[in-house]
Amino acid sequence: MRSEATKGLTLSAPATLYVGFLVAAPLAILVAYSLWTQTYVSVDRTPTLANYREAFTDPLVRHLMIRSILIAATVTIATVALAYPIAYFIALRAERKTLWLLLITIPFWSSYLLRVFAWKLILGFNGVMNSALLGLGLIDEPLTFLLYNEFAVVLTLAHAWAPFAILPIYVSIQKIDLSLLEAATDLGNGPVQRFLRVTLPLTIPGIIAACLIIFIPTVGDYVTPSLVGGSDGKMIANLIQVQFGAANNWPLGATLSLLAMMSVGFVAILFVLSSTSLGRRIR
Amino acid sequence: MKLRSTGAMALSTMLSAGVALADGAALKVFDWSGYEDQGFFGAYMEKHGAAPTYTFFGSQDEAFTKLQSGFEADLAHPCSDAVRKWVAADLIQPLDPSKLDNWDAMLAEIKDVDGIVIDGEVYMLPFEWGNTGLIYRTDKIADDQISLQLLADPAYQGKVAIPDAASSAYALASLATGNAADYTNLSDEQFQAASDYLRSVHPNVRFYWSDAGQMDQAMASGELEMGWAWNQSELNLIWNETPAKMMRDVDKGIATWVCGYVHLKSSTTPVDQIYDQLNALSDAASGKYIIESWGYPHANAEAYAISDQDLIAQYGFDDPKAFFEGSLFFDAVDPALEAKMLKEFERIKSGF
Repeated sequence: MRSEATKGLTLSAPATLYVGFLVAAPLAILVAYSLWTQTYVSVDRTPTLANYREAFTDPLVRHLMIRSILIAATVTIATVALAYPIAYFIALRAERKTLWLLLITIPFWSSYLLRVFAWKLILGFNGVMNSALLGLGLIDEPLTFLLYNEFAVVLTLAHAWAPFAILPIYVSIQKIDLSLLEAATDLGNGPVQRFLRVTLPLTIPGIIAACLIIFIPTVGDYVTPSLVGGSDGKMIANLIQVQFGAANNWPLGATLSLLAMMSVGFVAILFVLSSTSLGRRIR
Repeated sequence: MKLRSTGAMALSTMLSAGVALADGAALKVFDWSGYEDQGFFGAYMEKHGAAPTYTFFGSQDEAFTKLQSGFEADLAHPCSDAVRKWVAADLIQPLDPSKLDNWDAMLAEIKDVDGIVIDGEVYMLPFEWGNTGLIYRTDKIADDQISLQLLADPAYQGKVAIPDAASSAYALASLATGNAADYTNLSDEQFQAASDYLRSVHPNVRFYWSDAGQMDQAMASGELEMGWAWNQSELNLIWNETPAKMMRDVDKGIATWVCGYVHLKSSTTPVDQIYDQLNALSDAASGKYIIESWGYPHANAEAYAISDQDLIAQYGFDDPKAFFEGSLFFDAVDPALEAKMLKEFERIKSGF
C-alpha cells in the first residue's frame, strides 16, 4: 500500500514540480506585483488595489481589451472557416494525406517573426501587392489601407495560425465512421443534410479545440500588432509591454496581464459552454 | 638548444598575448548595437590586444529594466536625459575627471548639459550627439513652407511619422507650442497645449516609428513626406540620394541630444582598464572615425579639425555652436511629468 503511494508520488513529482515552478510560481509573482505600487525607481510593497482601480476606470484599457478580444475572435472565425474545407478535403478526398499535411506545415519551417515581416513586405506602400496592382494598371497610387490597421493584424494572424486549425479538425473528421455517412444516405439524406446532421456534429470537438488553440494565444499577441498594426491595430499586449518597458511600472503591467488572462478565460469558458450546448441541440 | 629557446620564447609570447587577450575582453560594455565598431576605441585595442565584450540593448528603457533586474557590466551607453533616473536607481557611480585624458577637449557646450554633470559630480563621458528634427521631402514641400505646424495640416493625412517615444513626441510638441524652454517642467496648461498639438497631429500619423530604418524607408519610398527623426535619418536619405533634409532653423524648432558612457556600480573590471576604454572612446582619432564613417558628430572638439572638411561641411558640423544655440536639449524631465507624458501619449496614440 505504502509502496504504491510512493510510486504514485514519484510518478507525479516531475509534473508537479514542472507546473509549480513554471506556472504556479510565476503566476504568484504576478499576483504579488499587481498588489504593489511603483514609485519612481523602486516598488512599494504595501498591498493595495490601486492598480486594479486604475485599470478598471481607464477607458484606454477597456478599449484595448475589447479590441483584442474582437480581433482574436475575427481571426478565430476566419481561420476555422477557411481551415474546415481544407481539413475536410485532406481527410475524405485527398489520396496523399501525408504529403498534404506536410505541405500545410511548410510555413512553420520559418520563424513566426519572419512571416510577420513577410506580410509587411507584401502589404507595404511599395510592397508586392501595391507593385502588382500598379503594374497591372488597376490603381494609380499605392493603397495605404493594406497596412497599419486591424485588417493587417487579422490577415497576418490568420495566416500564421492556419495549421493549428487544420490539424485538430482533420483529426476529428478522420475519426468519423464512414458507415454513418452511408446510413444517412440510405435513410434519405442529401449531401447538405448529411453534412449538417452527421459530419458537422461529430467534428464539433475538433472545431472547439481549433478555436481555443487560436483564440487564446492571439488575444495576447504582441509582435504582430506592433509590426503591422500601426496605432489602429494596437492590442492589450502592447500596453502591457509599455508598462514593463518605457513606463517602468511593473505593478500596473502585472495587473493588466492578470486582467487580460481573466478576460480570455471568461470568454473561452463562455464559448465552450455555448458551443457544447449548440452541438447537443444539432444532434 | 637554440631552437628550443626560440620555441619557448614563442610559447611565452603566445601565452602573454593570450593573457592580454583575456584582459581586453574582460571589460563588459552594455551598448546600442553597432557601437562595437573597433574604429571607436583603437587606442584600447592597441593597449589590451582585444576588444571589450559587448552586450546590446534596443532602447534606454530596455537597458534600464535589464540593469535594475541585476544585469552586470562595466560601462553602459545611455543618453543624458536618462542619467538622473539611473543615478536615482543607484545604478551608476561618478567618474573621476582627472583620469579622463580628453575631458578638457570636450565641447564646452556639451559639458554643461544636465546629466553629464549632476550636483558637481561627472556621471557621463559624452561620446556622440546630434539633432532630432523635422525631416521633409524637399521635392514635395518647399523650404519656406515647412514648419512644425504643418504636421497637423489635414492636407498631409497619412504622410507623417513621429517616434513611438513619449519624451521625443513631447519635445516636438513643446517646440511647436512655443514652450521649449519649459520642456522639462511643463505647467498643466503647457502640458495640455502640447497634448492638444499631438492629438491634432495624430490623424495624419502613418505610424509611430520605433526603429529608424522603418522611418527612413518610408521617407525614401514617398510613403511619408515629413517625419520627426534623428539626423542619422537625414544622412541615410542623403546617402540614398533621396531629396530630403532636416529643418535646421532654430526659430522653427529643433532638438539636440547627447549620449555617452557611464560607469556602472556593478563593474568588477580594474578601474584603470575602464578609463583606458573611456579615453580611447573620447580620443580625437575616434571622433574623426565616427564623423567620417558614421556621420555622427563626436564630443571631442579636436576631432573636427582633423576630419575631412568636405564631409564636415556637408553634414553641417562646421559650426557645432549653431547646433546648440536655441535648440531644445533633451534633459531629464521631472519624474512626475515624465509619467504623465507616458500615460497621455499612450492615449493619444490610441485616438483618445
